[in-house]
Amino acid sequence: MNIIYILIWGTWIIFGISVVWALSWAVGQGHMSNVEEAGCSIFDEEEPIGEMTDFFPGEGPDGAVNGGEDAHG
Amino acid sequence: MADRTSETPPSATPKPDPDALRGDVVRRARIDASCRGPVMFFVLTAVAWLLIGSLLAIMASVKMHTPEFLSDLEPLTFGRVRTAHLNTVIYGWSSLVGIGVLLWLQARLSRSTLRFHKLLYAVGILWNLAIAAGTWALLFSHFDSVEWLEFPVWTAALLGVGFVGVMVVSLDLFRRRSKHHIFVSQWYLFGAVFWFPILYVLANLMIHLGMATGVAMATANWWFAHNVLGIWFTPIGLAAAYYFIPKVLGRPIHSYYLSLLGFWTLALFYNWAGTHHLIGGPLPVWLTTVGTVASMMMFIPVITVAINHHMTMVGHFEKLRYSPTLRFIVFGAMSYTLVSAQGSLMALRRVNETTHFTHYTVAHAHLGMYAFFTMAMFGAIYYMVPRLLGREWPSATLIRIHFWTTAVGIFIYFTGLSWGGWRQGEMLNHDTVDFLAIVDYLIPYLWSRSLGGTLMTIGHVTLAILLWKMWRGAEEEAQGPAVFKEEPAKTKILPTSDGEEEDS
Repeated sequence: MNIIYILIWGTWIIFGISVVWALSWAVGQGHMSNVEEAGCSIFDEEEPIGEMTDFFPGEGPDGAVNGGEDAHG
Repeated sequence: MADRTSETPPSATPKPDPDALRGDVVRRARIDASCRGPVMFFVLTAVAWLLIGSLLAIMASVKMHTPEFLSDLEPLTFGRVRTAHLNTVIYGWSSLVGIGVLLWLQARLSRSTLRFHKLLYAVGILWNLAIAAGTWALLFSHFDSVEWLEFPVWTAALLGVGFVGVMVVSLDLFRRRSKHHIFVSQWYLFGAVFWFPILYVLANLMIHLGMATGVAMATANWWFAHNVLGIWFTPIGLAAAYYFIPKVLGRPIHSYYLSLLGFWTLALFYNWAGTHHLIGGPLPVWLTTVGTVASMMMFIPVITVAINHHMTMVGHFEKLRYSPTLRFIVFGAMSYTLVSAQGSLMALRRVNETTHFTHYTVAHAHLGMYAFFTMAMFGAIYYMVPRLLGREWPSATLIRIHFWTTAVGIFIYFTGLSWGGWRQGEMLNHDTVDFLAIVDYLIPYLWSRSLGGTLMTIGHVTLAILLWKMWRGAEEEAQGPAVFKEEPAKTKILPTSDGEEEDS
């Protein structure tokens, strides 16, 4: 069973270090500041907040499904 | 590329800068064009494995209630077809489609084009050959009965070597990202790409090289089998959900803070949880207790994901009627909450002593790998493929058939086996109940499993037909306004052999 203890503890340590390192790197690079802006980074002027981007074929966007309230809170 | 905004009549309302709009459209079309060949290769071969895996699944399921079915053909006996089903759907369907979605998402989110096409084709071909050889070995030759690690070790080595290419390309996309921000899906994709090889290589070394035997082998087995769900498939599924739900709705994630908390807590807790599979086994109690505690801790990331997905959808559920991607992805996201909460509870000793070694566990596994992961991947396919091929899906009806057969199929499968499995566990725990009476009791539930599986397979065939029509371009004239504001096919952005693109 010794090999299992090495496996279990070893991977906890490897994974744990990788997670802490990645988190430290992210904080150092400023990825944890202004996170709400990062949350909007998938939108742009051509596919903006408030517009659906996927429909069944032949059932394109219309006023009934697009627009409306988009901000949270 | 035609500039549709230039045709808009002048208006008093300030309009976005047309050049900026054109820039966004061209950039996206360029990225999609760069992904076209390799990502479609992974998706199409994945769906081929899904069909093979479904056929094997139905064979195995029918044998559970009709044991004489194909019983005189040795390669098609239960032990072989069930094992072949597991491995073809895990490495063939789930991993290949996962790699395809991962590459496309990483390219889109990094805003960089996909390069190293030859390397990716080589990885895809290597994986497909290795899975084919491994499946042949499962059906016609010898294999070790270590769940999800039954492939011969040389096959596993090929899969491991091939995966290095995926890591290289993923890093290359990230390194060339044009935006400073890292979207939460990218964190999940990074987790998947860099944890999976550690997990897969270590597990194979431990088990196939004889480093772990007996109880140690069982522990290594379940450490792997649980983690492959949690740090390979789950991050890809969640990355897709976190991208497609807000993107399709046109609505930011409810709380981006919560999404980050969810990722980092999953990263910290998940890999501790696997030993709960061995509750009641001949292991030191602390080892299984750690697994139980970690499983309880998993409620934190699960609740953050559930709150985020639900609150993002609140007030917009009617949009499920309009978007195929949203339907599949939301079905997957809701199933993620359910399967994770269920899994944590199954790690409790009092629950586990009833559910262990019953069909309840089989239902739970399918809730995770099918209702969550596979449905999320279907949703991703419905969004990606039209943009990759520059062509609209040929039939809304076929998409609806795909959704309803798979959704109803997994519902029947899950409810039948969960109820039957729970009762099975209760009866097995009472030594006054005759074992054969339990077997008889389960037969209707096993039929429900075959029914559910058949419906799901009909859905898979439907998807294959849709993809075949897309790929062949048989319905090229069916382009409509549903997906594209502007047809990327007409941008004539062509990938070169190295993945660099050029306007023509």
